[in-house]
Amino acid sequence: MFLTRSEYDRGVNTFSPEGRLFQVEYAIEAIKLGSTTVGIRTPEGVVLAVEKRVQSPLLESSSIEKIMEIDSHLGCAMSGLTADARTMIDHARVTAQNHAFTYDEKIKVESATQAVCDLALRFGESVHDEDAMMSRPFGVALLIAGVDELGPQLYHTDPSGTFMRYDAKAIGSGSEAAQSELQDKWHKQMTLAEAQKLTLRVLKQVMEEKLDQHNVQLAQVTPQQGFEILDEVKLKEIIEVM
Amino acid sequence: MDHFPTNWGRPRNDAFDAYATHPIHQRPYNGPKDTFADGVQHTQQPIVTGTSVLAIKYKDGIMMAADNLASYGSLARFKDVQRLHPVGQYTVIGAGGDMSDFQYIQHILEELSISEISAQDGHELGPVEIHEYMSQVMYARRSKMDPLWNSLIIGGFKDGKRFLSYVDLLGTTYSASTLATGYGSYIAQPLLRKAVEGYEDTLTEEQGRKILEDSMRVLFYRDARSLNKYQIATITGAGVSISDSLHLETTWSFAEGIRGYGAQTQ
Amino acid sequence: MASLAHPQQRQFNPYSENGGTILAIAGADFSVIAGDTRQSEGYSIQTRYAPKVFRLTDRAVLAVNGFAADGNMFVKKVKQRLEWYRHAHAKDMPLRAIARLIQTMLYARRFFPYYVYNILGGIEEDGTGAVYSFDPVGSYEREACRAAGAASSLVQPFLDNQIYFKNQRPAPGTSHPVHLPLPTVLSIVIDSFTSATERHIEVGDGLEIYVVLAKGRNLQGLEGIRGMQELTVTEDGERVFVVRRELKKD
Repeated sequence: MFLTRSEYDRGVNTFSPEGRLFQVEYAIEAIKLGSTTVGIRTPEGVVLAVEKRVQSPLLESSSIEKIMEIDSHLGCAMSGLTADARTMIDHARVTAQNHAFTYDEKIKVESATQAVCDLALRFGESVHDEDAMMSRPFGVALLIAGVDELGPQLYHTDPSGTFMRYDAKAIGSGSEAAQSELQDKWHKQMTLAEAQKLTLRVLKQVMEEKLDQHNVQLAQVTPQQGFEILDEVKLKEIIEVM
Repeated sequence: MDHFPTNWGRPRNDAFDAYATHPIHQRPYNGPKDTFADGVQHTQQPIVTGTSVLAIKYKDGIMMAADNLASYGSLARFKDVQRLHPVGQYTVIGAGGDMSDFQYIQHILEELSISEISAQDGHELGPVEIHEYMSQVMYARRSKMDPLWNSLIIGGFKDGKRFLSYVDLLGTTYSASTLATGYGSYIAQPLLRKAVEGYEDTLTEEQGRKILEDSMRVLFYRDARSLNKYQIATITGAGVSISDSLHLETTWSFAEGIRGYGAQTQ
Repeated sequence: MASLAHPQQRQFNPYSENGGTILAIAGADFSVIAGDTRQSEGYSIQTRYAPKVFRLTDRAVLAVNGFAADGNMFVKKVKQRLEWYRHAHAKDMPLRAIARLIQTMLYARRFFPYYVYNILGGIEEDGTGAVYSFDPVGSYEREACRAAGAASSLVQPFLDNQIYFKNQRPAPGTSHPVHLPLPTVLSIVIDSFTSATERHIEVGDGLEIYVVLAKGRNLQGLEGIRGMQELTVTEDGERVFVVRRELKKD
């Protein structure tokens, strides 16, 4: 890919003669530099897990925030330029609240995902009179987990605005190894506890540091409790039985 | 950030909300601004007016009648005005109320017809479409508190189907087998209902003409803003036909013998 | 007599009243929504057939009464929103979501209201019959029954007595039923309209009664009803029926 680099990777809205948008493809590449993030869907709920890279012993690891709540029934884990995710999650939150206000019901997971993806290709030059748009593609991929009337679901979005539903998905630097591990271990009747353990085992395999309750974050969305980020005490318990 | 995709600019400033994910549709207005908009006077009352329009269904289609008078208050100002207007090959629109607003309606329907013909897409506007369009126009204008001060009857015949419907300055619509606007709704409508209801599929053109002529005569006797010169339109499978002006035969000799009120002393 | 001391101001009145009455009653697993078909202005009957009750989805029916032009426009906009919702979310809008949507649409016009009273009837997600009633600016609540329109002051007290059993004492050792069976409800609806037709000049001509039946229920005696027609299009879902009757035309 980098061999074919030409002037077509300059303009963010210019197709190359082969029909590619290089800046979008580069953005997708940027995800692969991000920390590993794993999501697993089970009939009991969805589990999200991220690796928190603690680059310095002076870094307060609890300040790294890579899993966020969108609504009480929707959660989101990210990999890539996490700052970009804030814009997208902000939009997803407003969309979800707005849906609840207008329709007195929780927004579907797919609809919330679609709303986020609507943002993805809104980059390029802006004309006068228009609010400034994003100048480049978002450099982040999301795993959106949620529960609605169709049950627990897991969606993956990338900088091209494409979204797909998965039973289990890994993104970020260790995603290749993690994904094949998920493919091996995931099964239809997995329990939530099994999924919690599997996400951590997968992360453990691809992480350089030794996995503990400080350098990973685990969250889940269940029909009963909705979205919750597991605290370090709970996390420690799971790591111990893992 | 503006979270409503409908407010996002290019490349998504489409004519419609393609995503429809959001309930509140407020598009910023980017069109030309009218500097004098605040000083514009809206129609508060009709000036030069036409009176009743009558319409019935009959065996072959629709028949409508309206006289040729446009009044300026109580002054019979214009006595050769046509208030039945053909639109395309299938429709006639009859108007009561403000005649300048009616001329404006004729104008917008002319523009609509031209753009529809130029599209060359095989679609032809029938009475159903023209009535729906006019009801949207009338309702939109009343919602701007700037109404088109008319009562319109739209009659037509297309694809073997009769159509007869009403719309007025408030955007109120309805259909029935007999319709009448203005004074006609009080005086002629009961006569029309008695003569037409239940006979829509058997009344001949001749019978229809007689019913309308008789009703127009009663209106001329009782409506001070009416005229004994009128036209009849038929819309059938053969197309639209609007008659030349017809003259109402009336009898006044009985007035000679009336005593007890009026100007005479004995 | 208008005072000559003050200049007179005339203003265009964008509203009118077009008469008629609507009502809806919820059963345990069905909902009945009805309205007469007369449209009038003042003492004039404009038409004897102008429907006020509209099917929105397979399980929702909306009755609209008041200023007819606003009513028709409002129904048109609601239907448009339901279609957009179907495209965006790949499902029909549930009844309580339609109810909330109607509130937001009415309240959006708080300062130039749609001059209409809405009654929404249908089947909830949990399979129960439901009725929602609204005022012109969007206040709404779920109820067991509601009448609105020209003859609401005649019909509502009758429904209070017959549906809520107000001012009735149950026989010793018994209690009032919470939900009435469908044939009883239909009789009450028909009696309401024949009575309103007798006593109110703006009610009459025709009656349209929509019945929405929850998924998998039998007809509960509806099969014998004169003038009944089924409108259901989908199999194994809620079923929608309409019963058309004549009312006195004087």
